[in-house]
Amino acid sequence: MGLLTVSGIVAGYSAADQILKGLDFAVQPGEIVCIIGPNGAGKSTLLKSIAGLLTPSAGSIMLQDRVVTGMAPPDLARLGIAYVPQEHNVFPTMTVRENLEMGGYVDPKQIPRRMEDAMQRFPVLGRKRRQAARTLSGGERQLLAMGMALMVAPVLLLLDEPSAGLSPKAAQELFDQIQAINKGGLSIALVEQNANEALAISDRAYVLVDGRTGATGIASELAADPDIKRIFLGG
Amino acid sequence: MLKDVAQLVINGLMAGTILAVPAIGLTAIYAVLRFPNFALASHATVGAFAGWIANVVLGWSIIPSLGLAFLAAGLVGVATDEFVLRPFRAAGFATTAIGSIALTIALENLLRMIFGNDLRGYDLPITRDWRFAGLHLGPQQVENMAISLVVMAAVFAFLAFTRAGKAMRAVADNPALARIKGVDAVRVARIVSFVGMGLAGVGGMLIGLDTTIDPLTGFRVMLSVFAAAVVGGLGSIPGAVLGALTIGVGEELCLLVLTPNYRSVVGFLAILLVLILRPSGLLGQRAY
Repeated sequence: MGLLTVSGIVAGYSAADQILKGLDFAVQPGEIVCIIGPNGAGKSTLLKSIAGLLTPSAGSIMLQDRVVTGMAPPDLARLGIAYVPQEHNVFPTMTVRENLEMGGYVDPKQIPRRMEDAMQRFPVLGRKRRQAARTLSGGERQLLAMGMALMVAPVLLLLDEPSAGLSPKAAQELFDQIQAINKGGLSIALVEQNANEALAISDRAYVLVDGRTGATGIASELAADPDIKRIFLGG
Repeated sequence: MLKDVAQLVINGLMAGTILAVPAIGLTAIYAVLRFPNFALASHATVGAFAGWIANVVLGWSIIPSLGLAFLAAGLVGVATDEFVLRPFRAAGFATTAIGSIALTIALENLLRMIFGNDLRGYDLPITRDWRFAGLHLGPQQVENMAISLVVMAAVFAFLAFTRAGKAMRAVADNPALARIKGVDAVRVARIVSFVGMGLAGVGGMLIGLDTTIDPLTGFRVMLSVFAAAVVGGLGSIPGAVLGALTIGVGEELCLLVLTPNYRSVVGFLAILLVLILRPSGLLGQRAY
């Protein structure tokens, strides 16, 4: 039994506009799975469906051995699914510390301990804990967004284009952090435009095309595939 | 002349601190629910009458009467939001704002049916004004200002240190992310309606302590309250305080050149200037 099993999911933003058209997807315990594909292929829609922000009209989503299709985001957070949106993923006028508190809103008793862990993992958040989130750099803001997600001690972390808008250096540091988090045993599903770097840190990958799986396999093998290279990896 | 100006500035600051209390309520509701709830006017009157019942009918002193004003207006605020305004929200900002105007007219007339149109006053001791360097200070006005400052401090502490206050700020900041993090938007809407309308009730009673009350007590100050929130930045709580002080002082200083009947021109002018020069208000839309 996988950690997450998505079977034949159909979902979108309206009944007439279904982005995902019967997609299958899975994450095994402890792995990083990246999802790449052209714009509009359904990468972010898949993460939003898993996170409970969109209700699939068909198909099922199972976390471990439990059906979680259509459950609300707070309930999914309690079960261990943490989602980091691509944009607007922090509370800009609240301090770093308050953002972390809001990250653990569904489990208030654990907030002090987990906040300490988050500040140890990302020391910059500890140093800037009294600063408003809007004053952080793009990279620091992504670290804060990940720190907030870790406040519920998730079993699965969903990251939607975490490197978008970051400098190459900040993006590399972020990918290093993602790998470090994964080494601690946390499974990660990662949507990325930055396909080269995403494939380099992932165990497996899915290539989505028009709401369906175009290709799937070991990330390093997909990275070496001439067609994938030509279409998605710039050469 | 200089003494007149100083007196007007002092009066304006005292009026502004009282105005800040309902203005915080209006802006807090706007920050979370994203519409200007004009029913704040009638809720201020509800608070003023609840406080009057406590003070005059039941013989309570001013502070517990203010507590009842907060509680009564807050509870009416939750009920009216739940049963009247919430169904409007799906239809959008303008429809809900217009619905709140209808609601305030209905509530105001309900109060008129119950209490009549007579002016009523609170049971307050008669005191002499304090004089300082030729300036007059009314002890009741100073007490009202002190109460307003304590109420404002309590609101800031609620927002800064409590789980419910932080959830309110999170929803004001980023409602979509707040939902992802597990904040119950319906519960937060109820809390902000209770606190916002409760503050309107306290504001209504404070205004009544300074003058008298009748079913139009809240309606008469609504323009100034709305102007204060717009000047400070609709949705910004520190902005509401700054806006209220600006409007309070502006309304007093205009008496140098205008008769009191034209005092409300300050509110209109302030809204006009802010919308032309700085539409986001003095402090933008930073909720806290």
